[in-house]
Amino acid sequence: MTKYLLKRLLRGLCSIIIVVGIVMVLIYSMLDRNLVFAADPMYTHVSNNSKVSYVYQKLEDYGYLDYVTYTDYLMELTKSGELDEETRSAAAKLGEKPEKDSEATAEYVEKFTKEYQSRGYTVVRRDTVKNGRKVASGGGAILFAHKDKPLFGRLWDYFTGIFVVDSVRNVQEDIPDRGVTFTMYDPLYEGKFSPAIIGSGTTHRYLLYFDSKFPYIHQNILTIKLGTSYSVNNGVDVFLTMTRSQGSYVLRQMTFPTGLVEDSADDLHTATYLAGSREGNLVYQDRFTDDYTNVDMVRMGNSKLGYSFTFGICASLLAYFLAIPLGILMARKKDSFIDKLGTAYVVFISAVPSLAYIFMVKAIGNKLGMPTLFDMDSAGKLMYVLPIISLAMPSIASLMKWMRRYMIDQMNSDYVKFARASGLKESEIFSRHILKNAAIPIVHGIPASILFAMTGAIITERVYVIPGAGNLLTEAINKYDNSVIVGVTLFYAILSVVALILGDILMATVDPRISFTSKDR
Amino acid sequence: MEYDYSKLGLSTQELFSRVDHSDLESEKITAPRYSYWQSVFRVFFRKKSNIFMLTLLAVVILFAYLYPAFTEYDRFGQLMNSSAKHLSPSAAIKQFGFSIKYILGTGASGNSTFDAVWYGSQISISLALICAAINMTVGVIVGAIWGFSKKVDVIMTEVYNIIGNVPNILLISVLVMLLTASFWTMVFAMTVTGWIFIAYFIRTQVVIIRDREYNLASRCLGTSTIKIALKNILPFMTSIIVLQLAAEIPGYINSEVFLAYIGLGLNEMSLGRLIFAAEGAMMTPGWEIEFWSPVIIASIIAMVLYVVGQSIGDAADPRTHM
Repeated sequence: MTKYLLKRLLRGLCSIIIVVGIVMVLIYSMLDRNLVFAADPMYTHVSNNSKVSYVYQKLEDYGYLDYVTYTDYLMELTKSGELDEETRSAAAKLGEKPEKDSEATAEYVEKFTKEYQSRGYTVVRRDTVKNGRKVASGGGAILFAHKDKPLFGRLWDYFTGIFVVDSVRNVQEDIPDRGVTFTMYDPLYEGKFSPAIIGSGTTHRYLLYFDSKFPYIHQNILTIKLGTSYSVNNGVDVFLTMTRSQGSYVLRQMTFPTGLVEDSADDLHTATYLAGSREGNLVYQDRFTDDYTNVDMVRMGNSKLGYSFTFGICASLLAYFLAIPLGILMARKKDSFIDKLGTAYVVFISAVPSLAYIFMVKAIGNKLGMPTLFDMDSAGKLMYVLPIISLAMPSIASLMKWMRRYMIDQMNSDYVKFARASGLKESEIFSRHILKNAAIPIVHGIPASILFAMTGAIITERVYVIPGAGNLLTEAINKYDNSVIVGVTLFYAILSVVALILGDILMATVDPRISFTSKDR
Repeated sequence: MEYDYSKLGLSTQELFSRVDHSDLESEKITAPRYSYWQSVFRVFFRKKSNIFMLTLLAVVILFAYLYPAFTEYDRFGQLMNSSAKHLSPSAAIKQFGFSIKYILGTGASGNSTFDAVWYGSQISISLALICAAINMTVGVIVGAIWGFSKKVDVIMTEVYNIIGNVPNILLISVLVMLLTASFWTMVFAMTVTGWIFIAYFIRTQVVIIRDREYNLASRCLGTSTIKIALKNILPFMTSIIVLQLAAEIPGYINSEVFLAYIGLGLNEMSLGRLIFAAEGAMMTPGWEIEFWSPVIIASIIAMVLYVVGQSIGDAADPRTHM
């Protein structure tokens, strides 16, 4: 069994990688990349050579290609000590045309060209654009190299970058007493007992800590990164976009490391290092003693994933609790009124567009005075009712349909006739014998319905304005946020592979006759 | 019991005549003539509700395909007439006089909602029928091969696992952005991977029937695989295929509505686009009819297609012919 499962997991992993590869080909090679600029107001404002550099800069931000400017190259050389500041500024001045370059410039331009051409880049130089005798707006000469990322390199970079382990060498700058300390008394709780691991030189300040939020113990040692968002949620990782809480800030009195006591929503446990951030910022100087200033806020609401999961899981529970007894009832009273009513409902749900019945629920709910819009800051429980009903309706229909089908299939089998002949009561036959067998295929779907609750539902979330995860993919597609698309796809693919395997395991535990290896038989 | 033959007024010779034994005759089975399709229709028309649904389907199809041909519909014909916009049915009839055109009022550009809905239905129904035809043909053929060949099974199952994981919305939106959002792009986007799900379904059914005893016997007697597939398995599958088709066609109408609602729809004003365009009207008191008309028509079309398909599928199952 274990060997079989490992094999399944491995094969699932392979197909996940291929899916991500296919999605990368779809979005990076097949889509017209100039669409990125279709709704970009900046694009129409820049002109001439500035437009070219703007386009390449943006394309790099969106993850299409590697883009290195000549200036960046010189800065890099200066940093590594190969070049001093004086030569750098002399070499950085590009002439109007290659022939007009100064000696120093020509030397480094040649070096730059050679270096990047040997690495497979295309080197582009654009001469100054002139308007009469003056340099036209945005017309300064530019020199840069660019290269499209190859698929396999992109895949490799992506998958090796998913798990990031924090290390004490992560901070580049000089930092006093680099290392990890373990304390029994978290400084944020003013001497109360609360173990924590605090790092210095690590990206995160707190590597392990306790707080009052579920699951009470949190870690920052291992971070999952699914790709940095660009247009959906600038600079924030997809995983964080999905898991970070939303809504209005929760202000509470707190003591900052400097001893300053203030009402603030900062969650100091999430502090990460941001080089040089304290120096220029007076607020940070008042609050912090070092550069660990980049903190998340404590907010009222749940995360996108949290909302989707809450709604999804409630809808699934409702569906299972309603549909299974109803399906059993329909099978027991076959061809009766209740069976016909149930069948009519199933036909209605399978034929009518989901949009129609979701709006219908909303309209009926509105007439009954239910809240029809979701409000993150409100504590009301009533606003959960309509979305949950809308979400549960299709699952109730399909569960009812299958439960009835499986029950009726079992009702004609020999063991039922035997049980009846032996004098068992009809209710006993149904609950003890038929149900056990009919429930097996239903059980197979349980892990999938729990896991897929997290992906959210596009229409329901739009109609009731729920800030869930369902809209993330469509939003990313509309905004050409490629890394979000890839990240969300990976998330979906992992869920579906895991759900299938868990479903098989659950089915095999419920029904001992099922085995996945030929040896076990 | 003695029977008095003399009552019949026939002689013994006439009552009993010797019949020669004939090998050919003795092989004949005297049973009522059974024609499959005749029985299907007999079972289908036995139910009154089926006849009603079929009539409704005919009306819907007539309206969708013939009504637009006989009426002049110009979406922007009254764009400049500000008094013609967002009229309720009664107001529209008051203004333009009674005509079937205005029984659902007018829309955002002063167009008749009734006309718009039927134009949209024509596009949506055509899309659904074409997609279903392509997907079912490819799906059934590939599914049959997939079910029969164990080598193909290994490869196709992996392909299925991979394609099943690529988000459908993503694929469709990439294709829509690559090629413009025209009718045929939509057909392409919905069929490029859609067939594999039908093929998988057919494959599972084929696998179930493939190893039954009668097929084993058939194979032992030297029947070719193609003949087994066509003569032994295909008749068994007919009702399953028809049932699947019945669920498929309204499915395409629904997914077109869904895609249009999230902003990935067609250029043409299909039912989905109409619903998408009228979403704002849903929230405005007095304008709701602009939103509900296409929604209800889409629901009726999908419902009728589904119910008729289900009934034909049930009738196509030979076990109901008794």
